[in-house]
Amino acid sequence: MSELINKVTQLLNDKTIDVFIGYEKGSADRIRAAFARTAEQAAKLVYTASCTQNLAGYLMKHEVKKLGKPGLLANVAALRSIMQLASEFQVKDGEVYVLFANADGSFTEFTSFASIEAYLGTTDVGIKSDEQEMIARLEAMSVQERWLFWNKEFDKCIKCYACRAACPMCYCHRCTTDVNQPQWIPVASHERGNLDYHLMRAMHLAGRCVNCGECANACPMDIPLNLLTYQLIDPIKNTFGATAGMKADAVYALSTYKPDDKENFII
Amino acid sequence: MSRIGVFVCHCGENISATVNCEKVAKITGELKGVEFATDYKYMCSDPGQTLLKEAIKEHKLDGVVVAACSPRMHEPTFRKACAEAGLNPFLCEMSNIREHCSWVHPKDDLTTEKAQDLVRVMVEKVKKNKALNSIKVPVTKTALVVGGGIAGIQAALDIANCGHKVVMVERQPSIGGHMSQLSETFPTLDCSQCILTPRMVEVAQHPNITLYTYAEVESVDGFIGNFTVKIRKKSKSLDEHICTGCGLCTTKCPQKKIPNEFERGLGFRPAIYVPFPQAVPNKPVIDRENCTYYIKGKCKVCEIVCPVKAIRFDQEDEIIEVPVGAIVMATGFDVLKPDFFPEYGYGKYKDVIDGLAFERLASASGPTQGEIRRPSDGQVPKKIVFVACAGSRDPAKGIEYCSKICCMYTAKHAMLYKHKVHDGTPYVFYMDIRAGGKNYEEFVRRAIVEDETHYIRGRISTIYEKNGKLIVKGADTLMGAMPIEIEADMVVLATAGVANHGAEELAQTVHISYDPYKFFAEAHPKLKPVETNTAGIFLAGACQAPKDIPESVAAASGAAVKVASLFSKSELTRDPLVAVVNRQPAPVYSQCVGCFLCQSVCPYQAIEREEIKNRNGEVIKTLARVNEGLCQGCGTCVALCRTKAIDIHGYSNQQVYTEVMALLND
Repeated sequence: MSELINKVTQLLNDKTIDVFIGYEKGSADRIRAAFARTAEQAAKLVYTASCTQNLAGYLMKHEVKKLGKPGLLANVAALRSIMQLASEFQVKDGEVYVLFANADGSFTEFTSFASIEAYLGTTDVGIKSDEQEMIARLEAMSVQERWLFWNKEFDKCIKCYACRAACPMCYCHRCTTDVNQPQWIPVASHERGNLDYHLMRAMHLAGRCVNCGECANACPMDIPLNLLTYQLIDPIKNTFGATAGMKADAVYALSTYKPDDKENFII
Repeated sequence: MSRIGVFVCHCGENISATVNCEKVAKITGELKGVEFATDYKYMCSDPGQTLLKEAIKEHKLDGVVVAACSPRMHEPTFRKACAEAGLNPFLCEMSNIREHCSWVHPKDDLTTEKAQDLVRVMVEKVKKNKALNSIKVPVTKTALVVGGGIAGIQAALDIANCGHKVVMVERQPSIGGHMSQLSETFPTLDCSQCILTPRMVEVAQHPNITLYTYAEVESVDGFIGNFTVKIRKKSKSLDEHICTGCGLCTTKCPQKKIPNEFERGLGFRPAIYVPFPQAVPNKPVIDRENCTYYIKGKCKVCEIVCPVKAIRFDQEDEIIEVPVGAIVMATGFDVLKPDFFPEYGYGKYKDVIDGLAFERLASASGPTQGEIRRPSDGQVPKKIVFVACAGSRDPAKGIEYCSKICCMYTAKHAMLYKHKVHDGTPYVFYMDIRAGGKNYEEFVRRAIVEDETHYIRGRISTIYEKNGKLIVKGADTLMGAMPIEIEADMVVLATAGVANHGAEELAQTVHISYDPYKFFAEAHPKLKPVETNTAGIFLAGACQAPKDIPESVAAASGAAVKVASLFSKSELTRDPLVAVVNRQPAPVYSQCVGCFLCQSVCPYQAIEREEIKNRNGEVIKTLARVNEGLCQGCGTCVALCRTKAIDIHGYSNQQVYTEVMALLND
């Protein structure tokens, strides 16, 4: 812990960064995101086993951007988020200082995108086995059963948009859901409105989701939203050979054409 | 409140036979915002258009819906009529009640109701239409001609003679193409070289034509009137400006046994070579794959003997960039490869050759100085079997089309043979004789009657060698499929004309479409035969389909006229139905977040980056911007844009939504 605090204090003091995005103790036993701009704030930073949130989503927030050059305490999902954001021209090389939390509790500095790419190339970025099982269970269902399953889940949705706020890839100034001229997606949190919203979000994340799971973590109604986007990861990998968030200069699988692309999905 | 006019066309009986047009006009006339509605027998006729124009003026219409045929047919007609009446043409829409309604449904009340629905949808759309202005783009008055065969030569000369600059790119060391390989040409039997070479020289000397031989198109960017072409000038390994074309190097080159492509492998050439004596430019190139110096690292005989020291072994490929306004594709064709006919022994027996090889044998400048001698032993063949349709019209082999030129050149070959070997016997196996064309049938008749060519209707099953003879087995289908066996000295296959090698890659580089046989596709088989679906790119000659010389020349002149008419104006006008990135007041500037997924998806490279800067010159935001000249309005970017920051003029998100809702909220 002191290693982290010392490092961040030093970074803030020598103006390498203006703000460090890490974790601090919240109310009760909870951990929350922290935005340290001074040595005093840095002193409150913690890093424990509970610090699992993907903090990269904050890089895109208007309020955080205003604070200046950011440093970020990153896990694997955050590294991938940064790569995906870079491929979408949202962050530039050298604009983010990344401190990566290793499994053994030590920290590694990533100062360039190339070093992040090299690290990710040797890391398992797959979906966790328990999540894998749930996806297998969903895929084993008949279309009718799956439809009922999701309808039942979406029925719980209160359209608080916490999933959208937590997702590092939902950085649009104005989400399609909020576009009301014309209003394709109903605002109301009824059955169809909820379905439209979640399908739209899943489609917008196809080939971009870095399986951090923040959408499901954020959901106050415990909807397993991550499964919806995770299910799109394998088909895109198998069809186009693309995995999101691995390279800073990747081109989006669904916007590019290669002559050897599989076309077996065309009926 | 809108003041929309609805004009329902009967299209004679095309619409009115199944749709009650009067009723459609009456019902839609009652819609909110519709000021005037009527029906008329032929809206596209002169009185029909006058009716429309009068109504616009009289009722002060601010939107028009013409319910008639497909907009592909008459949208330009009615938009022009609206413009003439003072209404912005893009406030006029067509509702297709013919192809989408009357033609596909029986006479019924439901059919009329559907027509009403279709009109209502358009009325709602027109309410959201905006007046748009045509886009003007400048034109670079230089044409690129790809390919220097007879079609390319003709197109280049025609364009250059109109006073425009032409850049010609030919991948071989010389222009001339297949025509330079031919001996005589049908149906007049005039010498191919004699009529071609003056034109080749004219190309080289024309002040408006810049010729790049041994060069290929590397990339094409841009759009009609404003293409940027990168040309790879392959290294010729010599300085063309110094080389005098004396030819000393070609005679001294120790590497002499390279099969000569120009002679279809019937002769040999050195590693530094000029493809044929009349080549333009008449300067050699080094074939690096076969040159001893490039293989073994020593030799350099050509450099030693060159009197002007023009050889440059270290010369590299050069890529030049040329701005052009139009492109003519004249890349020609190829003939089938030997492995296509194992049963004919082509490639296995030396005396089974293709038509182009026979042209070389018959040519005065060929490997035998025009004497017909078979490749295996140099004997004069006394019996030659000519096989028409070798590969063509053979669905089993994947070529279903007729190569078109083979019937004629086979007749020519038989004649040339007979004229040179008076005691020889030519046989022609054919499926049908297709001799449509001026003086063509008479020509074939002459081959049969005067030159005593034996025409046998039937196909060949197999050819094999026995005692120095080629045994040709076939059947005569006019004699009840009677088996026929001929002991021939030589067999000439009229191999199918196929797309040139590399045609598919080139089409993708240039961004034009091609057919399943990799021939370049025309925009319309009848009415736009020399245009492609890419504006500003035209086709000439056999790159489109097998064509004979007159047809190639005619197509080339046609393409040249298209280029000249494009260059007749200094600006192009085009429909403003293009994508646009929305703009908003600061601090948002636009809904666009600059993810640029639109940039990679755009098939026309029409998305650019625009930097929003503050007054200190600092970049605050980077947005997508649509190049109106490049955008074709396909809408792919719109589909991919997550924030709905891109929209298409004339087919906006709002308009489509309105149309859908008009149907749903009936």
